Amino acid sequence: MLPLILASIAALFLVAPILIVVPMSFSTAISFQFPPPAYWIGYYRKFFTSEEWLEPALNSVIIAGGAMAFTMLLVVPAAFGYVRYRFRGKALVNLLIMSPLIVPHVVSALAYYRFLGRAKLTGTYLGVIVAHGVLAVPVAFLVIAATLKGFDRNLERAAMSSGAGPFRTFWYVTLPVLRPGMLVGALFAFLSSFNEAVVALFIAGRGATTLPKKMYESIRLESDPVIAVVSTLLVGAVVLGVLVPVVMRRRPIDAA
Amino acid sequence: MSVTRRNTAAWLLLGPSTAVLVLLFVVPIGYVLVLSVTDPRLALAHYQRIFTVPLYTRVLVNTFLTSLVVTALCLVLGYPVAYVMARRGGWVGTVLLTIVAMTFWTGFLVRTYAWLVILGSKGPVVSAYQALGLGPAPQLLFTTFSSTLGMTHILLPYMILALYAVMKKIDANHLKAAASLGARPAAAFREVFLPLSLPGVVNGSLLVFVSCLGFFVTPVLLGAPRDMMISQLINQQIEELLAWGFASAVAVVLLAATALVVGVYNRFAGLDRLWG
Amino acid sequence: MTKSIEIDRGRRAFLKGAALATVGPLIVTDRTIAQTRTIYVNTWGGSWTAAEEAAFFKPFTDQTGIRVKTVAPVSYAKLKAQVQSGSYEWDITAITQADLLRADREGLLDPIDWSVVKKDRLFPNAVYANGLAYCALGTNLAYRRDKFPQGGPKTWADFWDVKKFPGNRSMLNNAVRTAQFALVADGVPPDKVFPMDVDRAFRKLDQIKPHVKVWWTQGNQSQQLMRDGEVDMMVMWNARASELAQQGHPVELVWHGATITTTMWGVAKNAPNRKLAWEFLQFAVQAKPQADFASRLFYGPTNPDAFKYVSAEVARQLPTYPENAKVAIKPDTVWEADNTAKIQERFTQWLAG
Repeated sequence: MLPLILASIAALFLVAPILIVVPMSFSTAISFQFPPPAYWIGYYRKFFTSEEWLEPALNSVIIAGGAMAFTMLLVVPAAFGYVRYRFRGKALVNLLIMSPLIVPHVVSALAYYRFLGRAKLTGTYLGVIVAHGVLAVPVAFLVIAATLKGFDRNLERAAMSSGAGPFRTFWYVTLPVLRPGMLVGALFAFLSSFNEAVVALFIAGRGATTLPKKMYESIRLESDPVIAVVSTLLVGAVVLGVLVPVVMRRRPIDAA
Repeated sequence: MSVTRRNTAAWLLLGPSTAVLVLLFVVPIGYVLVLSVTDPRLALAHYQRIFTVPLYTRVLVNTFLTSLVVTALCLVLGYPVAYVMARRGGWVGTVLLTIVAMTFWTGFLVRTYAWLVILGSKGPVVSAYQALGLGPAPQLLFTTFSSTLGMTHILLPYMILALYAVMKKIDANHLKAAASLGARPAAAFREVFLPLSLPGVVNGSLLVFVSCLGFFVTPVLLGAPRDMMISQLINQQIEELLAWGFASAVAVVLLAATALVVGVYNRFAGLDRLWG
Repeated sequence: MTKSIEIDRGRRAFLKGAALATVGPLIVTDRTIAQTRTIYVNTWGGSWTAAEEAAFFKPFTDQTGIRVKTVAPVSYAKLKAQVQSGSYEWDITAITQADLLRADREGLLDPIDWSVVKKDRLFPNAVYANGLAYCALGTNLAYRRDKFPQGGPKTWADFWDVKKFPGNRSMLNNAVRTAQFALVADGVPPDKVFPMDVDRAFRKLDQIKPHVKVWWTQGNQSQQLMRDGEVDMMVMWNARASELAQQGHPVELVWHGATITTTMWGVAKNAPNRKLAWEFLQFAVQAKPQADFASRLFYGPTNPDAFKYVSAEVARQLPTYPENAKVAIKPDTVWEADNTAKIQERFTQWLAG
């Protein structure tokens, strides 16, 4: 009983703040007042008609997509190379691939601010895509390498022994089995870029402002109530994304 | 296939990523290191400043202590959740997992904003204070308290997931065996489950502690300017003072601290353990 | 049969990719073209930006088709960083006269482009150190009437008097302004503040430090503190205080010992869209737009002709109104430019200590 009570308290602690943003988005107040004095959808209207919010939102999608593509192009072959071959220096390669995850984001932000600044790439799509792409490599690599490790090579051997060449085997046997893992890896890469705030603060700007950066500035400067709308929309997307697979499974997770 | 041919294939596959990571990650970070000792001139002066000027040593100590507190809080709050998720399963487990996943994927900024509302002067906590007749509420926002609370909230899912990953692998039969030998549930937990869950505790604590050291967004938006953490210091030095050399030095100190903690962990547990 | 489905799926995926590849660059180019006829203006945010949008940006875009985007907040360090690194978040900024002088001395400003800016369309004293005059801004003492039914603080000495006027205080996180107020509180007449006795100022500041609840940095933040009653008296920019009063809040403004600074427009050196930037500034310094801005946000116009379009009611609220300017601190731009950096560093240490 005790663990359940404690867990419930902790769970409440986790979820209550997130739920608070929903009524806030319908509030009429200018400042951060809770409970809201009255409700309307005015700020929703403001969000969907204001370029200053829609542009960063679109930018974030474009940049996250680009970063995801960049990361996957690098990580998929790398995962194959790492998991399926033996060679000296594996530990070093592992460390290298994991390094963006170990280095604190604020340090990477500083480094990229200087590096991309010199290359005149700050405030451009390319600059942010490169930075975000690199930062997403460890996460995507972990997922795909894990999927590869669990891959039953007998499937490939069976296909090859039936006469399929290496490319056809890869295309018709390996890839379809790996697809779920690759999708998860790609999703993680996309979300890691979409949510990334610190590096974006330093290097995004001008035409390539991202949504987190806009939200950060909004909190610091404007106390703009539209941020509640953005937060609610983001939370809504997450809830959908998490609940849909659970509902579709229609059965609870198994105990240990 | 010959060994050389295998190796060539491996390097071809790994080549692009390695090259990109070296050129587009290691090099920029390396440049920060170089900056810390060359700007404005070749000297270790910045490092000297960090470790001797009380203002800056306070930042280091404060960051370290806050990270410890947040890690402890996450452990205390997260252990029961992971335990119930792993042991109970069923609908309760699913609900908890859903909550954790939801929190995990909601960005830092949304959650930080939520705390600004909750702890604000017009928020529910202050209203509760007034409703209970406890007099004027103390200032909750822009204090170390709000910063710590915010960070705990944001890092808690990481702790829970790390604990869960290990707990879920603990064989229920161990506990059944203990029970069959006459152990009461509390004793069984203490003697059997707890020790087996320790790798998860270490994993989770490492993850949370290291994340906390370099945490930026939440301390900046929720914290007190007086009780700066390292990342705030870096930001201030760059944004307000353009002190590249000094900011780089502070960044290097942060990186070194992080690398040290991770290195120690690697020595005793191996980094790949972290990924379960 | 399954094979043909697989091939179909593969073909479809390929076609999708190809379509995206062709459309993609088009989308980018379209936006890129729009980008090149866009200028980025560094602005203070909130009501300031809103007033700018109405008085300057929208009319300018209507007239020329050049789009104006804003980037907040204003930062001297950002100006320096941009010019040094060569990557620009914005082209134009609006900073105090003293900061403009500093910027010009450090080579951070684009020299006025006389091929775009017509000298005969400028008013006298419009030009200073490669910048164009914008508006006169007051930094005042403001307090909540309802917290002081017996009458509120009338001078900075009153602000320092925590016994006679108890309550929460907030001050602007700006070294030079704060030091100036400290000197006036210590008995220095407003017109004799410069050259500043910095040590005396910091000694006086030590007295008030424990009573300052928040050191604010953003205009909106200052308004929120006052509006929500989190502080009883504070340093505030005159227009922000007046705006609250207009909205019905019990805010009083004190002009004695206020600082009146001239905000100037400047273009960052080698900014990507500097030609368009100067076109905008040529527009912004005209009488009508300045008057429009002043009527929305009570900062005084610098163009003398603008007063023709400002109502008497509004004129009384401006820093330029003789009654107000008379009791304010007389600025010394050159002294400020020479000493700001030093005082700022000392202030940062003092604040954190």
